Amino acid sequence: MLGTFIQQTVNALTIGSIYALIALGYTMVYGVLRMINFAHGEMFMLGAYAAFLVLTVFVGDIGAVGAFGLTLAFFGAVIAVGFFGVGIERLAYKPLRNSTRLAPMLSSLGVSLTLVTGVQILAGPQPVAFPSFFPTTRYDLMGGTVTSVQIGILVAAFVLMFALYTLVNRSRMGIIVRAVSESRPTAQLLGINVNLAISAVFFSGPLLGAAGGILYASYYGIMSPTMGAVIGLKAFTAAILGGIGSIPGAMLGAYILAFVEVGGTALLPLITNGVLGTEYRDVLSFAILILVLLVKPAGILGEPVSEESMVYKREF
Amino acid sequence: MTLVFKNLRKQYGANVAINDVSTDFAPGLIYGVIGPNGAGKSTLINMTAGSYTVSDGSISLDGHRLDGMKKHQIANSGIARTYQNIRLFDQMTVLENLEVCAYPAEVYNTWREVLWPPYGRERAAARRESAMEILRFFGLEGYGDAEAGSLPYGRQRMLEIARALAMKPRVLLLDEPAAGLNHHETAELTAKLAELRSPERIMLVVEHDMDLVMTLCDRIVVMHHGKLLFQGTPAEVQASSDVQLAYLGTDNDIDDIRAAAQDRRAQLGIRARRRS
Amino acid sequence: MSVAGISSSAKPQASRLVAILVLAAIVALVAATPFLPNYHIRVVNSLLIYILLGIGLNIVIGYTGLLDLGFVAFYAVGAYTYALLASPQLDLHLPFLLIVGIAAVLGMITGILLGIPVLKLRGDYLAIVTLGFGEIIRIVINNVDWLTGGPKGIARLDKASILGVEIARPVEIYWLLLVTVFLVGLFVWRLERSILGKAWAAIREDQDAARGIGINTTNAKLAAFATSATIGAIAGTIFAASQRFVSPESFTLQESVLIVLMIVIGGIGNILGIVAGAAILILLPELLREFAEWRILFLGILMVVLIIVRPAGIVPRTFGPEKLIRGLFGK
Repeated sequence: MLGTFIQQTVNALTIGSIYALIALGYTMVYGVLRMINFAHGEMFMLGAYAAFLVLTVFVGDIGAVGAFGLTLAFFGAVIAVGFFGVGIERLAYKPLRNSTRLAPMLSSLGVSLTLVTGVQILAGPQPVAFPSFFPTTRYDLMGGTVTSVQIGILVAAFVLMFALYTLVNRSRMGIIVRAVSESRPTAQLLGINVNLAISAVFFSGPLLGAAGGILYASYYGIMSPTMGAVIGLKAFTAAILGGIGSIPGAMLGAYILAFVEVGGTALLPLITNGVLGTEYRDVLSFAILILVLLVKPAGILGEPVSEESMVYKREF
Repeated sequence: MTLVFKNLRKQYGANVAINDVSTDFAPGLIYGVIGPNGAGKSTLINMTAGSYTVSDGSISLDGHRLDGMKKHQIANSGIARTYQNIRLFDQMTVLENLEVCAYPAEVYNTWREVLWPPYGRERAAARRESAMEILRFFGLEGYGDAEAGSLPYGRQRMLEIARALAMKPRVLLLDEPAAGLNHHETAELTAKLAELRSPERIMLVVEHDMDLVMTLCDRIVVMHHGKLLFQGTPAEVQASSDVQLAYLGTDNDIDDIRAAAQDRRAQLGIRARRRS
Repeated sequence: MSVAGISSSAKPQASRLVAILVLAAIVALVAATPFLPNYHIRVVNSLLIYILLGIGLNIVIGYTGLLDLGFVAFYAVGAYTYALLASPQLDLHLPFLLIVGIAAVLGMITGILLGIPVLKLRGDYLAIVTLGFGEIIRIVINNVDWLTGGPKGIARLDKASILGVEIARPVEIYWLLLVTVFLVGLFVWRLERSILGKAWAAIREDQDAARGIGINTTNAKLAAFATSATIGAIAGTIFAASQRFVSPESFTLQESVLIVLMIVIGGIGNILGIVAGAAILILLPELLREFAEWRILFLGILMVVLIIVRPAGIVPRTFGPEKLIRGLFGK
């Protein structure tokens, strides 16, 4: 029993770390642009495909890739996706910055559609086996099994999140980004380079998302062009749960969601006597999303938005 | 029929925007609400119209409590307002902006309107005619089919008042109706507003333009730091030393400001020396 | 807004010419379709179903200004209602018109049940919640095997028949759809011009100011949601009756996005725009059949480009049916 518990806890931490990496992208974009980026889940997918591409094309035989090749593939892929994210922002969202609030969201839906189909055309619609980025070893932890892949994911995610946290709170660029997300017009008036801040966000968000994608693909050993959709929605749920716009909130929300999901999936068949099986895991996440939005739309760490301060001007 | 504020209070965190305001407004009169920036004039209007919640105290019309009602319910109890920043339905035509005000009265006949064309035509014609009547009053009849958002600024201000009037309100709240208008337009507006004075209607005008307030209003309410400082006829207000104090400050105030400036200069000087 | 050459600034003769051309094209297509080969009629039928869906969703998106990304759920409700009540699955074989009525009511109920909690949300949150709701419905359908047949779906649905006249061949379905599109289109068009339609527009323009003039925005939005859901469900029953097979495949998120896209491309808030949008999105892929997988890629890019270049869509909001009629008969 304790074994199972520890096992599930580690599973939840692993999947929570991946959600957190993606949720950060949603929350940062929302912070500076007040926009839900529907194409963000695709950055996650692109990360996995880009890493695979680097491995097969530039490093060669996957079976014999050394630690150097893997590191190269990881960083090459995430940085490439980061730049790609900046490019997409310039092309598809920037022209809409002064448009209605829903226009960039619709545009991001189009981007998402384009990217998924693009990858389907280039790499085929079928799922592809993905090489593990960590040598697989199993450890026994008080009755539960922990793999080296899980440990690697936890470490990588923690390092990345810590780096982001430090950047946002300590660096000059971080201050700029926070200023812009506090109030774009004011930041602009103060002579802050708003475009730079937005680019920074659209670089780091996709970068972290791509890292999440690589870790996810090496965890499950598989990737597919549509893998971003459901995960993206869950990470978005996590961002909302923690309070969209808040960086610590996104991390917190991701782990809470992961624990609820892992726990719920384990308990659902027991509670409902087998009527609702594990296939309802996704329903559970959506239900949480809807519940949070209805009960506490500001999330756990988000600033409450009172109706008084909200201006309902046409959204499209 | 009266509109009554009783111990009204509005608080944001520690910041008190309206502090214990009690007064009442009688129909047939136009009330001007004046006071320096941040005195809480707009907050009063926003609370009456239900845009802001009331922290404490009550607002009632004819003995019916308005605070705590939903915004649309307040509107349907006969309270109409305009906004400091014009808020028209931009992509609807000028006529439609007024016609839509018939919604609360007519929505329950929507089915009949949709399924029985003669009835639909009749209602549409009736709505159009009553909207046109108001437009003519404001000299906007030529704009009927134009999009509201395409009108010149001054006409938009007029249209917003016209829309409020289309609700056949018992209380008309105007939040800086002359803001951004030129001299000529302000004069035109003052004349129109004077014509709107009616024994069945309470009018409340928040305004910075003193000429407009003094010529138009029958009673003036002076707000200062969230409190009701003075209430009376224009002549009384002009004669009041309290009001002059609020607007101009005392001699002591001037000294205070001077001292503060000196202090600040000294600080800056110290900082400048440290740098060099 | 001065959009396109066919807006108010155009001379009466010119707008009359455009009106006549548009109308002539529609009449010619409508009249010619029954003489086409079956395959082509099927394409037209699917076009008509999408027009129906577009008309329904447009009430929420175009008139009321709420982004609903889960519209396909109501479509699924209608389709599965027909599949369950007119197939060997439950061994029920109710008459077609009765099922349409049941589906419409079910659709409306689903719309209201979903609407009550979510309509208080802000626009972007509403989009994500409706998207989640659409996915939930699809996952549930996929997993309640005993009822819906799961991923395999339900096959061998009854042929529809109205008053003893069988409606199963593509041509027959075509007439059914044509009549439905006409009636629903007329209904919605009149609804848009009614006082409720004007309130929807007010909510779209400025929700807070709409409340300020006494509109109970929650109720008005609920009415929009319910009407839209009802139309979606009706479209679903006809779809099921024409395919005589339903499976969760037809009710994916992509389908919802496609309908939104149709409205955005055609011109938000305008029935004629929906026809144009549907024609582009359904007929173009048919023409590009050889490049099957490229067409969705193309659609995605088109969506981005159009939103940037022409946010109001191809057909301007002002060029509605009224304009067409006015153009035809002078004044």
